[in-house]
Amino acid sequence: MDKGKQTNAPSKGGKVDGDGLTKKERRALKVQEKNKQHPPDNKKDSQNAPAMKTEPAKPANVPPGQLSEKELRRLEWEKKLAEQKPKPEKSENDNISKAELKARRREQQEAQRLAKQQQQKPPEKAAEVKKAAPSPKKVEKKKVSDSRRLQIVSHLYSDASFSNASVYKNVHPAFVRLGVQYSTKKILGSNARARALLAAVKCLINDLQTPPKQEFCRYLETVLQTCMDYLQLCRPLAVSMTNALRHFKTKLHQVECLEDNVKKEKLLEEIETYVAEEIDKAGEAISLKVNEKISNGDVILTYGCSSLVTKILKDAHLAGKQFKVVVIDGRPLLEGRTMLQRLVQIGINCTYVQMNAVSYVMNQATKLLLGAHALLTNGYVMSRIGTAQVALVAQAFSKPVLVCCETYKFSEQVLTDSFVYNELGDPEMLFTANTLDESSPLVTSKNDNLQILNLLYDVTPPDLITAVVTELAILPCTSAPVVLRIKP
Amino acid sequence: MDKQEVKAFFDKTIAENEDLSVGVVAIMTLMKIIEKYQDNTVQGLDENLKLGILAIKTSDYPVTAINSGCELFMRFITLAKLDYNSFEQCRNVMLERGNIFLNRLKQCRAKIVKLATKFIADGSKVLTHSRSRVVLQTLIEASRQGKQFEIYVTKSAPDNSGDVMCKNLTSVGIPCTLILDSAIGYVMEQVDFVMVGAEGVVESGGIVNKVGSYTMAVCAKEMKKPFYVLTESFKFSRLFPLNQGDLPPEYKYSASARQLDERDFKKIHPLVDYTPPFYITLLFTDLGILTPSAVSDELIKLYL
Repeated sequence: MDKGKQTNAPSKGGKVDGDGLTKKERRALKVQEKNKQHPPDNKKDSQNAPAMKTEPAKPANVPPGQLSEKELRRLEWEKKLAEQKPKPEKSENDNISKAELKARRREQQEAQRLAKQQQQKPPEKAAEVKKAAPSPKKVEKKKVSDSRRLQIVSHLYSDASFSNASVYKNVHPAFVRLGVQYSTKKILGSNARARALLAAVKCLINDLQTPPKQEFCRYLETVLQTCMDYLQLCRPLAVSMTNALRHFKTKLHQVECLEDNVKKEKLLEEIETYVAEEIDKAGEAISLKVNEKISNGDVILTYGCSSLVTKILKDAHLAGKQFKVVVIDGRPLLEGRTMLQRLVQIGINCTYVQMNAVSYVMNQATKLLLGAHALLTNGYVMSRIGTAQVALVAQAFSKPVLVCCETYKFSEQVLTDSFVYNELGDPEMLFTANTLDESSPLVTSKNDNLQILNLLYDVTPPDLITAVVTELAILPCTSAPVVLRIKP
Repeated sequence: MDKQEVKAFFDKTIAENEDLSVGVVAIMTLMKIIEKYQDNTVQGLDENLKLGILAIKTSDYPVTAINSGCELFMRFITLAKLDYNSFEQCRNVMLERGNIFLNRLKQCRAKIVKLATKFIADGSKVLTHSRSRVVLQTLIEASRQGKQFEIYVTKSAPDNSGDVMCKNLTSVGIPCTLILDSAIGYVMEQVDFVMVGAEGVVESGGIVNKVGSYTMAVCAKEMKKPFYVLTESFKFSRLFPLNQGDLPPEYKYSASARQLDERDFKKIHPLVDYTPPFYITLLFTDLGILTPSAVSDELIKLYL
C-alpha cells in the first residue's frame, strides 16, 4: 500500500538515508544487479528442471523488462550522476531551481517504475511454473498487488515466492508434483500433507544415487533440504510436516555405517513405521477413545473436513450406534462438502448447514468433534479458520467440545492470536460468482480502499475446549506441554 | 479367598477403621488376597486379584475411590511379577511394596491438613458439604491451633451425613450450623470460602463427589467465593467425563440400586456428581497445592 503511494507522491519518496539514496532507490539498484546476474540462471533452470519447461524464450508482452538491460544501466548511470551532484550541495538545495528539482524527481520516479516492473516480472514466471503440471488453464491467477495488502498481516505475504525458484534445480520430480498439489490445494488436510510428504521422501530415497566420494545420508540431507525449500515456496509447511520431517532427520543421523542399499531400506522402513504408528495407529486409538463417548441418540456437530473425524464417525456407525451428524461448513474452502459426501456414503444420517446457521443447530447438538491442524504448547488449538467461532458458540450453549489430534501434531509454538503465524489463502477465493457478475469492488482491483484478507487458520483458546483426544489419553488442552515433554 | 470372604473382610475392615477411606481399605483387602493366596502361580494370583476387585466394587460403597485405588495397586504393586523368577520372592516383594504404599497413603492426610490449615484465617466462615474425613481433620487441626472460625455444613441428603459431620465438629468445640441442601445459595453470600473433599479427581482436573457439590461449586463461582478441594492423590483417576451424563453408571448409582433397576437409571437418585475444573479454585493434595490443570500433568507422569 505504502509503496504505491510513495511512487505517486514524490514528497514521500524523499526519506533519504545516510548514502543519499531513498529506500526505493536502493531496492531498485539491487534488483538491477540481480537481473544482470539472472539471465544465465534462468536458462539453466529451463533446461534442468523438466517440470518447469513452460518457459519459452520470453513472451512479447514484457517489453519494459526486455529492453531494460541496456536502458536500465544508462538510467542507473544517469541517476548516479544526478545523485552525485546534489550530495555536496545538499545544504544549497535552495539554490536549485524548482524546475530542476522536479526534473530530477521525475527521473528518479522513472527509474523506480522501471525497477518495479522488473520486480514484478519474476512472480509471473513463478505462476507459470506452479501451474505447469496439472492444469495450464488456470494460469490467470493474479498476484496480490501491493495496494491490496493488509498492514496487520504484511509479514505473511511471501512475495519472494518463485522469483528465485531457479535456485531449486535439483528438486526431485516427486517433490515438484507435491509442490503443485500443495499450492493448488489438491492436498489440503494436515494428515494428508504429512503422508504425501513422507511418500515423496520415500520416492527420493529410492531414486537417489550418491555421487562418488559422498556419504549417502549427508547427500540425502542436502538434497532433501533443497526439496523442502522448494515446497516451502509452494505453500508454508504444516506443523505435521515439520514434525514428521524432524523425526526423519533424527533417524537419518542415527543410521549407522552400512552400505547404501541397507541404509535406504532402513530409512524406508523408518518412514513406514512412522506413518503406521504416528498417523494410522494413533487414529485408531483416538477413534476407540472417542467412541466410548459417543452414545445412542447423540447429535454430533463437526466443522469442515477432517480425515480423523470421518474415521471416528465411520467406526461409531459400524459399531451400530444410532447418532446424527451435523456438518457445518464455511466459505471459502467449503471443505464440509467433501466431509458430507464421505459421511453420506458411509450411511450416516447427516445435516448440512453453513456457518451462519451455527447458533440455530447448536442447541440440538450433544457434542462437537473437531479436527486440528496443530496443538500449541499453551493449549491453543490451531485449526481451519472458523473453528474458533464454532467452539465459541458451543461454549455459549455449554456443549462439550472434543478436539481430535494425534500427538505428532503437537507443536512447541506459542500463539495467542491468528495473526502472528498463519497462512494466507488466495484472496480471490472470497469472490463468488455473484460478485463477479456485478461491478463489485472485489473485482475492480484498482480500489485502494479495499483490502481482502483470506486467512487459512485460526487459534482456539483452551477455555473453549473441553478436551483434546490424543492416542495417549483424553486430556485437557493445558496438558500439551507435558505431552511434548514425555514424547521422545 | 473367594468372593464372600473378600467382601466380608472388606466390610469388617471398614467397620473397624472408621478413619480410613474406602480406597485405602480396598488396597488393604487386595494385600490380604495376596497374603492368603495358596497356589503358586502368578497367573492365578492375578486372576484372584481381579475377582477380588470385582467383589469389592459390587459392595455398596462408593466405587470412585475404590476404582482409582485398585488401579494404582494393580499397576505399581503387582508389576513386580515381571521382575522375579520364583513365586515366593515375587509375593514377598509385592507385600513389601504394598506396605510401603499403604504407609505412605496413611500419611497423605497429615500433609494435606498441614497445607490447608494455612488457608483458614481467624474469623472466617467456611461452607462445607456432606462429611469428609480430610476436611474434618483440617478443621479440627485449625481449631487446635487456636483459630476462631465458623462452619456451615449441608445436611446432604439422601444419607444425611452432614448430621454426623456437624456432631463431630461441635464435639470438638467448633461452632457449626447445619443448613438445608437447598439453602446453599442462601448462605453463600455470608461465607468466605468453600472447602469440600472428593471421592475422585478426574483427568480434566474436575472432581467426582457427593451429589450437591456441583451445585455448591456453581453457586460459589457465581458469588466469586474460592472453592477448595481437599483430596489424597491416590484418588486421581484416568477418567474424563464430558458432563454429568458421561459419568459411568457404576459411579453414580450404588450396586444394589443398579441391580434393581437395570434398564432405567433415570428414576434412581445419583449419589455423586461431576464438578468441572472451571469451578474449582485449588486442589490441596499430598503432592502439594495444585490448580485443576496440574492434575492431568500428575496423571500423565504416573501412568504414561
